Amino acid sequence: MATAAGVACEAEIVRITVDGLEYRLHAGPSLLAALDQIGVLMGEVDIPHYCWHAKLSSDGSCRLCQVEIDGQTGLQTACNTPVRDGMIVHTRSEAVVRARQTVLEFLMLNHPLDCPVCDQAGECKLQDYAWRYGAPNSRSREPRRKLEKRIDLGPGVVLDRERCILCRRCVRFCREIPRTGELAVFGRGDRSVIGLFPGVQLDNAYSMNVVDLCPVGALTSRDFRCKARAWQLESVEGVCGGCARGCNIWLDVAKGEVQRYRPRRNDAVNDTWMCDAGRLSYAEIARSDRLDKAWIRNQESVLEPVSVASAISEAARMLAGLVAEKGAGVIAGIASPHATNEDLFAFKRLLDEIGTENSGLAVPHGEADELLICAEKAANATGARAIGFEDARSLLERIRGGGVDGIVILGHDILTAGYLDDETLLGKIDSVILIDTHQSSLMRVAQVVLPARHLAEKAGTLTNCDRRVQRVRPALAADSELLTEGEIVHRLALALGLNGFEAGYDLPRVSRSLAAAVPPFAGITIESLPSDGAQLVSDGGEKGAVR
Amino acid sequence: MVISKAIRDQIEAENANYPRARGGLLAALHRVQREYGAITPEHATALAPIFDMTAVEVLAVVSFYDMLSSQPAGRHQVRVCTNLSCSLAGAREFLREIENHLGITRGETSADGRITLGHEACLGACANAPMMRVDDRYYEDLDTESARQVLDALD
Repeated sequence: MATAAGVACEAEIVRITVDGLEYRLHAGPSLLAALDQIGVLMGEVDIPHYCWHAKLSSDGSCRLCQVEIDGQTGLQTACNTPVRDGMIVHTRSEAVVRARQTVLEFLMLNHPLDCPVCDQAGECKLQDYAWRYGAPNSRSREPRRKLEKRIDLGPGVVLDRERCILCRRCVRFCREIPRTGELAVFGRGDRSVIGLFPGVQLDNAYSMNVVDLCPVGALTSRDFRCKARAWQLESVEGVCGGCARGCNIWLDVAKGEVQRYRPRRNDAVNDTWMCDAGRLSYAEIARSDRLDKAWIRNQESVLEPVSVASAISEAARMLAGLVAEKGAGVIAGIASPHATNEDLFAFKRLLDEIGTENSGLAVPHGEADELLICAEKAANATGARAIGFEDARSLLERIRGGGVDGIVILGHDILTAGYLDDETLLGKIDSVILIDTHQSSLMRVAQVVLPARHLAEKAGTLTNCDRRVQRVRPALAADSELLTEGEIVHRLALALGLNGFEAGYDLPRVSRSLAAAVPPFAGITIESLPSDGAQLVSDGGEKGAVR
Repeated sequence: MVISKAIRDQIEAENANYPRARGGLLAALHRVQREYGAITPEHATALAPIFDMTAVEVLAVVSFYDMLSSQPAGRHQVRVCTNLSCSLAGAREFLREIENHLGITRGETSADGRITLGHEACLGACANAPMMRVDDRYYEDLDTESARQVLDALD
């Protein structure tokens, strides 16, 4: 979703001073929002806060973001004090330090010391700020309030009322982003609790974002609860492959497995959100139906496991035989909208060099909404089309007419997209070479099956529904027998002795060739791509707005 | 209808006097509670669209105020003030005696559905403590005997 960077252009630019450093920013928004817009908040300017969030309305309830402003009596909350020209702000003065300590002492009055068993420990703002700004010891002699420790708010989220500091981010999120408004604060004063309307669940398509929003361990993910500690996780930048939005994510890895996806902020794509279905889609990486070895159909018509190299040789032998006997026109390819731009470009070149124009693309569709969820349930349908793959229906007609004798298929989207009810039609083709991440019924008609890497296991770029090219990085080390679709078709091309394929598969080189050969990708290479992506050059040859 | 047309018309007419849609909520909640004894989730659902709010927001407002209740209550609301001045004048003992007399504790409703007993913080009658509120009426300078007479006379 295209939120404008910063505010409208005509907004007045003002100068303010924070701790002796001068900043130029837009007048109008709060001090926190203005500092966030120029990217220095939580960087060189550290104003701790709980209730304020860049993508939610201001609440002013946690009182932690107090700063001192010259000429104003008392301290001001930076989350709802508008920026004015010439403002001189102090975030480290004695009064501010004392106020923070006091606020933290109040927030800690009733907070349980259950960090050792709390999922948030290690990524907890209460821990961080108490450590950095709080008093070393509690002066309270009063008992802490006892509240419910485990309330199932909905299918994805569990609430611990003792840990809640009542910042109301979750309440505002539900009202303002999915606009479902399930949550509210009930009661008053120290008896306030987060709650639901009787009989209602926190069950919207984006419900688990409240887990990321919660600055403490009050809201936890039912899926991630007690699975790993925050400090064991290594976070890798990636893109969700669940739909064409391409939400930016962190892949959090421990013990050689992806433990969870979390949204990564990109104001041009997903702000700081992602849908629950995308968040939970990490489970497909290690699912039991992953393809992990190559297969060839033997003389008894049974698939038997072989090395990837043998499978590629066998595939090349079949294709070369068909081309020699009947010509390149009997060969076809079906692209996967899940593959990266580089994989698809390598595949397109393979088909071009074989000399066939028979190719197609099948994109699975599903529900869409007005926030993030796209109807196209694959990450790179736009990239596949830009590279030159067109809808597979005409190819299927050709297959029905008996004009295809050998086919290379990436993925099994031809089935999930509903283009075919089953694999029967493809069974009429002599040589079916399947390259896929997961098992499917296409294996029943395949002569050669090659396992491919999942998006979490490879580098590359994807093009989202708004034509934004974004980079993925390998979060997991893949087995040496597990290659990308791009490398598999590259090796297949080498085995076929085709022109223009250099000996080793080199991703940056493929990316540069793509930029040079396919006009929309002009100037976009994997090595030069900013971490928040870049727009494809529009069809008219005019360069799109690159943020 | 959980809220009768007549009550609903009154609420909407009154709400038109406020500059913001949610301005008249408290007055409406008091009216619903007076009519129906409590503001149940069903009442909150019926009220929410009038005030451009969600039902859970309405219920959250109800939960904020001691004088509003989402639990069905007795025909009469009896509230004893137990704030500082009243407590110094013996309001806590007074409340306990009333509990004994009615056979219920604070927060409960008598078995005959006649009285819901509660306590409240500062009803603004400090000079005349102990005191209690019965529905919208104050009874001040009470002792156990005079309070019993008031309570026993309730229908």
